[in-house]
Amino acid sequence: MIIGIVINLLLVTALIAGCTSTSTAPATPSATAAPVSTPAALETAAPTLVVTTAAPAATKEAVKPTSTPKPVYTYSEGNVVAYTAASLSGVSPKLAEGFEKMYPGHKVVFNLAGTQALKTQVQNGAYCDVFISASNSYTNELTKGGYFVSGTVKPLTSNYVIVILPKDNPANIRSLSDLAKKGVKIAVADKSVPVGTATTSVIANLAKSANYGKEWNSSVYGNIVTYETSEPAVAGKVELGEVDAGFVYESTYIAGKDKFVAISVPKAINYLQTYTIGVMKDSTSKGAAADFETFMLSADGQQILEDYGFRPL
Amino acid sequence: MKPPSLIPEKYRRLFLYTGAIVLVLSVTLYLALPIAALFFRTTPELFWASLSDPLVISALWLSLTTSAISLLVVILVGTPFAYVHSRSAYPGKVLVDTLIDLPLVLPPAVAGFALLVLYGRMGLLGQYFRMLGIPIAFTTLAVIMAQIFVASPFYLRQAKSLFEQFDRSYEHTARTLGASPLRTFLTITLPLTAGGLVSGAVMTFGRALGEFGATIMFAGNLPGVTQTMPLAVYVGMESNFNLGLTISILLVIISFLIMIAVRILTKTEVPHA
Repeated sequence: MIIGIVINLLLVTALIAGCTSTSTAPATPSATAAPVSTPAALETAAPTLVVTTAAPAATKEAVKPTSTPKPVYTYSEGNVVAYTAASLSGVSPKLAEGFEKMYPGHKVVFNLAGTQALKTQVQNGAYCDVFISASNSYTNELTKGGYFVSGTVKPLTSNYVIVILPKDNPANIRSLSDLAKKGVKIAVADKSVPVGTATTSVIANLAKSANYGKEWNSSVYGNIVTYETSEPAVAGKVELGEVDAGFVYESTYIAGKDKFVAISVPKAINYLQTYTIGVMKDSTSKGAAADFETFMLSADGQQILEDYGFRPL
Repeated sequence: MKPPSLIPEKYRRLFLYTGAIVLVLSVTLYLALPIAALFFRTTPELFWASLSDPLVISALWLSLTTSAISLLVVILVGTPFAYVHSRSAYPGKVLVDTLIDLPLVLPPAVAGFALLVLYGRMGLLGQYFRMLGIPIAFTTLAVIMAQIFVASPFYLRQAKSLFEQFDRSYEHTARTLGASPLRTFLTITLPLTAGGLVSGAVMTFGRALGEFGATIMFAGNLPGVTQTMPLAVYVGMESNFNLGLTISILLVIISFLIMIAVRILTKTEVPHA
């Protein structure tokens, strides 16, 4: 009888323990294809962050502070999870390549989605090492929430808004004023997406100047058929030819020149979106994360971004 | 000499009972706690306040009307189809059987993409509709088409199996008494299978109401035209947390009512062969 009660109590406590324990090892990512030998010293100049001893189970070689610190990473510390704004989807493979070239043995995994979605995930406990945001307001929100390691939030690159049309230009749009023509279908991003707020600003700015005006403004909004949840989704609808025009970033057009025709928006009234990058306070690979940030801000990283149409700051 | 002890028997039974209770509790809590968490995250005042938000009202109205229309189409077309399909053995019947089940396993986003590629204005068929001046993608019609595509299997499978299992002697009797096949179907078969058919219809309605992936791919996201409740939750979650919460709670309540309706309706027995 007593044994029965004891066993049942053990069952219940095991159940409760299982329900309430938080995951203990977000920092041990599953092994990727190539088994990585402990990497050699860094090639760049002295990194700005000292390696933190984080991984509990992995055997670690101690950090040897010399005149030029050369931290040595174990495999678990060499992986970076980067929550990245979706507009970097096209350039991300090249960035991963460049990062591995600069820091052999390191790997970066990108989680690409609208910045608003990533921000919500992080605020609800999602783990990442680096956060690349397409919107200053979201960056500020996360900074205020204490999610970043102080001093690591830096401007990364920038992007202007541009209007893209399908290659064959089905609605025969020749200028921005044609966007208000009856029957034109326009795709934009929802206002919660960074490029969505940028689009709203651009349309408002265009309406204010003499050529366009309030009627143009309301006609354009009447022509919008969908508010997508990420920037690549807008480009995708234009590429499919299902809409006549879409408001996206310049980088998307430059990277996909053979797929689209574009109408640029004058710089004076355009909206310059600034991207920021930061290392997360809860990261367990802060050293590797800092290395990734260093790479992104380095000449190599900036060149890759520029090749894909992003504007250097 | 003591009689054989009853204690081992008692403790074994206690062990089993408590184990069963723990099992039931853990399954129930795993399913119920996330739903409860939704309710705890907001207050009744906030909930009622956001109910009057025009975005919520338009999403609610759009969801209910499109799901109702989808359900109507599925029932009107699906019932005769299921009847014919179950009563005859035509070449390719197995293929049709598989196709009916396909939307159940196909990821909704794939379904939406496929619909877009077919019915979009650049699509295989869509380009002809475009020539006729009929827009399909990014309209409320697209929402209905997407819902029909993903939700119809629920009704079709149910109707098909109901008609297959139905005791034909009732139909035969009616026929010998002079009733036409149509009259037999309407006055004998349908009323007797109604319970099962309605439960299938209710599941179809629930699935259509919750459709997200195919809708956002094929119909887009435009408040008042194509922004159904699941889309409003997804978009609202990031920009207006309370709105997302309110719509989620609304969907939970509706889903609950649907499930209760199914429970009650499946109690009616269908006469088996």
